Amino acid sequence: MTLLLLYLLATLDGGLCGFRAFAGRSALIYKRMYYARAVLRGAIAAQVASFLSLFLLLLTFAVSHHHAELRADLESSAGRMLWVFLPYAAAVVINLAFRALPSTDIRASTSVMVLGPLTGARPFVMIAGVLYGIWSARLLETRLLGIFVLLAMLSLEALLDRIATNRQHHDLASAA
Amino acid sequence: MFAAWNPSQPEISDLIIQHDPVTLERRPVRKDDVRAVFAKLGNQQAVRVVDALPDRAGVLDAEAIDRLFVVVHSEMQRLAEEFYHGGRVWELLQAVIGAIRATRPTIGAANRERLRVVDIGCGIGYTVRWLAARTPLASQGVDLVGLDLNSALINEASRLARQENLPCRFVHGDAFSPANAANIYLSTGVLHHFRGDDLGQFFRRHELPETQAFLYYDFQPSFLAAPGSWFFHVVRMRTGLARHDGVLSAVRVHSAETLVSTARAASPGFASGMYGRKIWRTPLPRVFHTLVGIRRPLIPEFRRALGHRVGRLDELA
Repeated sequence: MTLLLLYLLATLDGGLCGFRAFAGRSALIYKRMYYARAVLRGAIAAQVASFLSLFLLLLTFAVSHHHAELRADLESSAGRMLWVFLPYAAAVVINLAFRALPSTDIRASTSVMVLGPLTGARPFVMIAGVLYGIWSARLLETRLLGIFVLLAMLSLEALLDRIATNRQHHDLASAA
Repeated sequence: MFAAWNPSQPEISDLIIQHDPVTLERRPVRKDDVRAVFAKLGNQQAVRVVDALPDRAGVLDAEAIDRLFVVVHSEMQRLAEEFYHGGRVWELLQAVIGAIRATRPTIGAANRERLRVVDIGCGIGYTVRWLAARTPLASQGVDLVGLDLNSALINEASRLARQENLPCRFVHGDAFSPANAANIYLSTGVLHHFRGDDLGQFFRRHELPETQAFLYYDFQPSFLAAPGSWFFHVVRMRTGLARHDGVLSAVRVHSAETLVSTARAASPGFASGMYGRKIWRTPLPRVFHTLVGIRRPLIPEFRRALGHRVGRLDELA
């Protein structure tokens, strides 16, 4: 259950990273599909990161001699990570929900006062969540897996940003 | 960082593209000249941005600068989308159009003389394209026109409008020339580019017989403007030019008092005042405020057309 929650949070984070990476690169007015594709790309990138992590996890299990201890250690680390990630995700989702309200002031305020700062805080929340999770882990494998997950998620936005930049340059060159 | 917040300096984008004021032809710009302006002020952030600009034999590469401007303006459009700027313009514009039609029915009536709305310094034309896409103005006898002195931005605005089949057009030229004169002028983030006497000179040009109103949106100065803008640009903008100039814009903006007093003195044919300075009835400032100028006979209908939003309008005088 804990791992499933982490996976869902990673997918949500990937989708939002995809949106941010492609935002501000298309100046069209009608672009729901553009943003839908951006979110999908981000979510797919998150699947790649998640499955790489899962593969590494299974590999670790395969070579480990203390399965039960490793499993308990991983679950308790992942549970501690959720204490950081869940409130952060809840704050993001609640503020996204506010944007459904028909007030331009409320919707704009969510960007200026909440979503902007939350975006800025994302890397620090990632680092804090993983460090809190692995800080009291007993096994080296758990710590290494945590660091791998952290690096994968931190590099996700940079990767999507690179893809979006290339796409934008290509579009501008085609238009010219 | 704080040398970049000195409001007495120009924005980088004010210097790296220069036009002949009469022919509007592009003039070559020497990179060292631009660099020297910021180096003298100790603005190392701007110096780094200028150093990174491509040049040919010391002269800024015009094509590369144009491409950069298109990228920067796309980023700026994202901010406008986040602030729901199109909707904010529509909120006031429909009240002004309603007032014009109710008070002077020969202007802009369907099948008669068309009403012309011109967006000054439209960039890639977000406001005009949004109005063309999301409102029924074009089918109601309103011509939507965007003007800018930068031909690269105008070309991009036209391309985007064509791509989406939008009923609007974009012109490289002077907004107050007889060919481009408007019934209603709009602008966003343009007023702070006029410094000193140029601001009054700009308002003096509005005294055209066909011009009925102007709606000018710009950042609102407040103690939060500089740090807020800095943080928002760090989080949202990607190019060094946008990050530098966006924050500098927020500290260079004119106060409501300066805008109103200058507009009233230089355009006495219009009643001027501010709109939308506070969020609801709280002391919280909106990020943008609007200078409204309107012919006096239109005021009663304009106030009526605003409906419950009339409380957002300061005194018009």
